[in-house]
Amino acid sequence: MKKKLLAVALSFAMVLGLAACGNSDSGSATNNNGNNGTTAESGDNGSAEGNTVVLAMGAGFSTLDPGYVYEKYPPLIVNACYENLFKFMDNESAAEPWLAESYEFSEDNLTLTVKLKENVTFASGNPMTSADVLFSINRCKNLQGNPSFICDTIESMEAPDDYTVVFHLTQPDSAILSKLTYSSLAVLDSKVVKENGGTDAADASTTDTAQAYLDTTSAGSGMYVMTSYKPDEEVVLEKNENYWGEGTNVDKYIIRIQPDANAQMMTLSTGDIDVAMNLTDDTMSELKDTENVEILNSASKTVGFVMMNMNEQYGGPVSDPKVQQAIRLAIDYAGVQTICGEGTLTPYSLIQSGFMGSKDPRPTDYTDVEKAKELLTDAGYPDGFDIDMTVSDLDMEGVLLTDLAQKIKDDLAQVNINVNIVTQAWAAGYGDAYRDGTLGFTVMYWGTDYNDPNVQLEFLPGQSVGLRAGWTAEMDPELAPLYQKAMEATEDDARIAVLEEIQDKTYESGPFIMIAQAPAHIAYNTRLEGVAISDPYAMDLTLINVK
Amino acid sequence: MLRSLKKLLKSNYLFTFGCVICLAWIIAAILAPVIAPYDPIVQDLAVRLQPPSKAHIFGTNSFGQDIFSRVLYGGRYSLLAGCLTVILAGAIGTFYGAIAGYVGGKVDNVMMRFSEMILSFPSLILAMIINAVMGSNLFNTMFALVIVAWPTYARLMRSVVLSVKENEYVAAAKVLGSSKLRVLVKEIIPNSVSSVLIMATTDIGNQILMFSTLSFLGLGSAPPTPEWGMMVSEGVDYFNKFWVSGFPGLAIFTMAVGANFIGDGLRDLLDPKLRKNM
Repeated sequence: MKKKLLAVALSFAMVLGLAACGNSDSGSATNNNGNNGTTAESGDNGSAEGNTVVLAMGAGFSTLDPGYVYEKYPPLIVNACYENLFKFMDNESAAEPWLAESYEFSEDNLTLTVKLKENVTFASGNPMTSADVLFSINRCKNLQGNPSFICDTIESMEAPDDYTVVFHLTQPDSAILSKLTYSSLAVLDSKVVKENGGTDAADASTTDTAQAYLDTTSAGSGMYVMTSYKPDEEVVLEKNENYWGEGTNVDKYIIRIQPDANAQMMTLSTGDIDVAMNLTDDTMSELKDTENVEILNSASKTVGFVMMNMNEQYGGPVSDPKVQQAIRLAIDYAGVQTICGEGTLTPYSLIQSGFMGSKDPRPTDYTDVEKAKELLTDAGYPDGFDIDMTVSDLDMEGVLLTDLAQKIKDDLAQVNINVNIVTQAWAAGYGDAYRDGTLGFTVMYWGTDYNDPNVQLEFLPGQSVGLRAGWTAEMDPELAPLYQKAMEATEDDARIAVLEEIQDKTYESGPFIMIAQAPAHIAYNTRLEGVAISDPYAMDLTLINVK
Repeated sequence: MLRSLKKLLKSNYLFTFGCVICLAWIIAAILAPVIAPYDPIVQDLAVRLQPPSKAHIFGTNSFGQDIFSRVLYGGRYSLLAGCLTVILAGAIGTFYGAIAGYVGGKVDNVMMRFSEMILSFPSLILAMIINAVMGSNLFNTMFALVIVAWPTYARLMRSVVLSVKENEYVAAAKVLGSSKLRVLVKEIIPNSVSSVLIMATTDIGNQILMFSTLSFLGLGSAPPTPEWGMMVSEGVDYFNKFWVSGFPGLAIFTMAVGANFIGDGLRDLLDPKLRKNM
């Protein structure tokens, strides 16, 4: 009998282990909602020292040395402690000069001359000069870390005087200003960094030892100075007393690295934190009626797409352009948006909504099942067909790719295409097959490396992502040359014209269907103002004030 | 045997209870197409994440699929996986252990060290690796479970065979000129198999749990197959919507408990040493 009881207890415990996550929480969540009154009292996070703001954000990085940062969240911190020559202001789609005073491209677009502001000082008190800019960019390039590729089009730099930097480019690069906003190219205090082992020499990847120093404090000209960094735990930023510009009234940021949406939801509703950055659609709905909490939803630039291989060997029926268009018409975009959550957008085509030159989102009533069926009949599949869809175990900003696949399966069933979902772990073959271009039919997502529409040019025929769909330059001789044309268009108007042409040409053809830009959700305590979702920085801390 | 089964049903309420639960699940799984009010796979986003109501007594999930219908269909996979895994693992383990125990010597040594090698891996991790490498579908998941489960049967069988083969009737068969294979199949296995049967019945519940755990981790059939474990994992993102993972979780719980009760009852029935105590 004892054994029986043990067996019962064990199986009970195991099932609870699986199920409890679903059950146990509803009670405590309502408790927290009852505690709304305490939300305003978050001043106890060190009110003696002035305004302190606590925020919770996601993990996934292990260094805050600008020369190495590449992941999603470090730019939030780097943007507060360091500054770049250019900056994206208020989510505008074009980069504005920041540490730069003015800039000029040469006739052939191969030389960029940047004049620097003369009144900028670093937190250490050192003035910022062209030598610091050269040091920072050369260091990033020579460290050969993850973000070094961003300097690929910079052939060399020179500094004719203390406040001028000249960039010589390997090819015209219309994205160069956006690239210069990237956190990895933040301007470092070269004097301080050199004193602590930093170097920009060609062999910096082995001789530079400044990372340890830059993981304990910052050496930039930004509004804040990093005073503590405990990996996967907490980052503390304190006001830069020597800031050259005008600061906000927040004196200290405590940034908790705590990605769990439910923990964030609860601590926000009790007032322990002021900003929660990783909420899910479900946790947000919990916060909707909470007093003193404001919710922001907006589409991020991370985009989910359906890929149909143009190579018949892999794609089978979906390599047929008519079938591709039929699938494009059969997908229920409104439903996809519902599944991804509030704030989701379906971009017009290859270029995400919000980028320079992006067209208005694809209308959700684009879906036309009857027309899709006609196209399938034209293509020789009046009764539809069976096809495998390989899907990885990854998620797009919290939306499982398998969820997107299930939605597409359901939609395509309407036009008699019977999709059989095959799951394959990224590490167990999916990743290789995806990169080699041997996947026939899949749903994948794409996160942008830097905030510029040119990252999307990789989807064009003959480019790296295009080739993953077996889309060679020869298949579309009209579209393929637009890659070069877009790279060369440094004037905004000319750029927009090329980018629009690319979008129009891919609106109803091509192996990619951009189905959704994943939403970003931020919820914050209403004692703050200026909180906004930012694509390049996740959130721009230098714009936030306490009311 | 049948009489003692009746006696068992009357005297052991837990066993009876287990039988009722499992029978109910078996009937539900077989009659799912008749009982289920909705198609388990067709989506209806207009009614997504609805709490339990008259129209959807277990509520709906994030695709608007009816959870009650999915739970009914899900029983098919769990029952199939639990029973087939035990049958296959039991059969492989029985023969493997019998050969090792009967032949003895170096063969026994090599065979048992090999099975211990498999046992020395954490079983869940091993099953996950097998599944990840071979691709995850229902068949591969069961295959992984069998790989993980058979050595336990082999060890048990070997230890029983070691004592059975010393019996006089084995010696008699040998003297009569039976071949080794004949002795093994006709004398030894039939006289050793009852302990394996006992273990197998208690193991069904464990295998159902193992299967659910793997499918919870995304290593089962591909979605949208209504597997219980996978359905529980669907609810993880919806903390305040208890029904999404609660009902499939409850299904796993009742099924596992029912199978365990039956296993315990059958052990009482089949194990002569325990029968006296009844």
